[in-house]
Amino acid sequence: MKRTRTLSVIGPLVLLLLWEAAVRFGWINRAFLPSPSEVFHSLGELIASGQLARDVSVSLIRIGAGFVLGALPAVGLGLLMGVSPVARALIQPFAAALYPVPKIALLPLIIVVLGLGETSKIATIAISVFFLVVLNVSASVLQVDNHYFEVARSFGARPRDLFWTVALPASLPGIMNSLKLGMGFALTLIVGVEFVGANEGIGWLIWNAYEVYAIDRMLAGLVVIALLGWLLTVALDELEYLLVPWQKPSRRIKEARVGKGMGVWWNAIRIWSYTAATIPVVLGGSIAAYEGRFHHPWWLLLALIGSIAIQAGTNLVNDYYDYKKGADGPQSLGNGGSIRRGELTPRQTLGGGLLAFTIGSVIGLYLVYVTGPFIFWLGLFSVLCGYFYTAGPFALAYVGLGEIAVFIFMGPVMVIGSYYVQTQHVSGLALLASLPVACLVAAILHANNLRDLDSDRQIGKRTLATLFGRAGANLEYYVLVGGTYISLAVLVVLGLVPWLTLISLLTLPLAIRLMRIVANEHEPIKLQPVLRLTGKLHMQFGALLVLGWVAAWAWSTFG
Amino acid sequence: MTPKINIDSLQVIYPGRGRNMPVEALAGVSLAIADGELVCVVGPSGCGKTTLLRILADLEQPTTGQAIIAPDESNRPLKGMVFQGAGLFPWMTVAQNVAYGLQLRGVAPRERLTRAQHWITTMGLERFAQSYPAQLSGGMQQRAGLARAFTYDPQVLLMDEPFGALDAQTRLILQATLLDLWEQARKTVVFVTHSIEEALTLGDRVVLMSARPGRILHEVMVPFARPRDPITLRTDPRFSALFAEVWGVLRAEVEHSRTAELEMAP
Repeated sequence: MKRTRTLSVIGPLVLLLLWEAAVRFGWINRAFLPSPSEVFHSLGELIASGQLARDVSVSLIRIGAGFVLGALPAVGLGLLMGVSPVARALIQPFAAALYPVPKIALLPLIIVVLGLGETSKIATIAISVFFLVVLNVSASVLQVDNHYFEVARSFGARPRDLFWTVALPASLPGIMNSLKLGMGFALTLIVGVEFVGANEGIGWLIWNAYEVYAIDRMLAGLVVIALLGWLLTVALDELEYLLVPWQKPSRRIKEARVGKGMGVWWNAIRIWSYTAATIPVVLGGSIAAYEGRFHHPWWLLLALIGSIAIQAGTNLVNDYYDYKKGADGPQSLGNGGSIRRGELTPRQTLGGGLLAFTIGSVIGLYLVYVTGPFIFWLGLFSVLCGYFYTAGPFALAYVGLGEIAVFIFMGPVMVIGSYYVQTQHVSGLALLASLPVACLVAAILHANNLRDLDSDRQIGKRTLATLFGRAGANLEYYVLVGGTYISLAVLVVLGLVPWLTLISLLTLPLAIRLMRIVANEHEPIKLQPVLRLTGKLHMQFGALLVLGWVAAWAWSTFG
Repeated sequence: MTPKINIDSLQVIYPGRGRNMPVEALAGVSLAIADGELVCVVGPSGCGKTTLLRILADLEQPTTGQAIIAPDESNRPLKGMVFQGAGLFPWMTVAQNVAYGLQLRGVAPRERLTRAQHWITTMGLERFAQSYPAQLSGGMQQRAGLARAFTYDPQVLLMDEPFGALDAQTRLILQATLLDLWEQARKTVVFVTHSIEEALTLGDRVVLMSARPGRILHEVMVPFARPRDPITLRTDPRFSALFAEVWGVLRAEVEHSRTAELEMAP
């Protein structure tokens, strides 16, 4: 098992090396086939110039819109055809006759009708996805074993019960398969569609590389397409597991009985932690305002919603993986939050997390569309770190990188991102001004690890606190909280930050009280309030800081 | 006293298609079953005993004749069925499967889970309540099938060779379980099987059917006192005597149906 895995990694690597060597030694003409290193170099250039981000997000929006517009009605109609012979008789001949027509052949016709714009591209994808999905869905309904219908009827099922409790769930695996096929179709088509009459998008990137004979860039585009295809497949696999859990029971972990209602979601996404997600965004906006560049209040709102969504996604996915790792471990000592309290099933939790990530990504893609590629990389990086915070073999939170990740993301990255949304510029000032908040948000996480120091040590979860020991961990807390105030003071003294922000020093008494508790207590129950109060300190400090920036702007404008 | 189930000259003819001749599955079956009686129907394969059950379950219509189940005062469902392969829905957890009948009857989620939980515990499945059927062994699946039928709580329980696909040991255990459950609920049960031992172990009465077209050949009243134990029953000399009596009747039928098959073969 292990050996085959090693081989499957080594095989492609050897092939790449051979290819590289073949080009270097001149066995292959590099004008036709550049070496892998050249391809990666030009991939790097595409990333650095921002072109790749723009092309990928444009293509993703087209694929997404076409896929949804085609697949949704197709699933509905396919189900109808599956259960109603009348509907089948009416639609089947039409669908079956049009299905074999290569949809790319319809593109000219669609362009004639809809013009060269976005509509014709999205429509081409939607139409081909539609015919594929509609036929496959109706077929999978027809393939449902009649025995299940008899069982349902023996329990007195009416026709609508037969649909909702048998036909629909039994054909879900087939529906998921047809959606995967449809996604493959959409990926194939996007390239063809963008070859014609497009001036952005991944297909255009490849075609344009051909026209200027930049083979390395063309191959870089192909690499990106392959990656996109892989990512979308992974996403659909995840969706399949959520909708059709009985298909892969081995992957499943025991689902506890759960309650209902929005309240449990409210708890699960830990609304109190949202100041951590909102303060940096508002701060970035207020710095832009101070500079007189607060042009897009709606985009600030979107950035806020997006960052809350990603925060919610992170919390839920973390719950899931914490639970899973705890549940799989020898001692079953995870801290799966809502899952452990039996309020949500693991599956619901993961589903909610992925939904939140999706909402965050859609908002993010829109902001990329209106402000430029910088947000794309920022967002991608944030989502990946949010996901791998507890997921995967190298989970950040389990190897002592939690505080550092939080410091970077909920400090500089978010402040700069929000500032960028307003100004379309990156600013050193925004970076520096984010440091006090970054310290405090890391202090929140550290307060948590400080409380769990002993139990984390037992289950082998490595945090900075367990690495430093009790004394070192206390010192870390003082450094983070003290650093908040010191960094702000230094920035004001240097004249980089308006003096009005010193209003946040009003929170100093709370900070001092917290450091006293940390110095004197080490039992989890006594340290519990430190976590909550550090969160409160972050909120109050951040709110006053924003107030300071806004007041400074008002002072300079109206004063 | 009027019988709970009255089956009156049932005849079923499956129309022929193309070159196939029409097949007569049941030829005038009449049977009366009392309330709270456990009747076992035994016959050679293809004798139409399953057809009889499917007519009682309203999954099929007879060509002529009728089968009537007399409803009682309660608002419990008239009939429920246990299938040979358990017939669990793979997309539902065991708990959801067991509560399915109540779900269709519009029982509130909380109540139907409480009621399902009772039978899940009785069947010793509490650890598997949240598992999917694919994660269960055949025996456990059939336990869940029984739990589903008892949770539905019908006036008449129709059982179609429920233990037919299980190994002999599991089968004995489930027979004992069913006897237990029946002692608690005392439902009217029609139990179809091809095993004479099973019929004698479970039934108050054993009805023997002929080879196709199915007719009722013979009836045996089973004299053993309840509650019964499947193992000690087998040591009772009356058990072997009854077995011999039933086998004597059935043997001719089985051989008759085999010769019929051989003659039909080209």
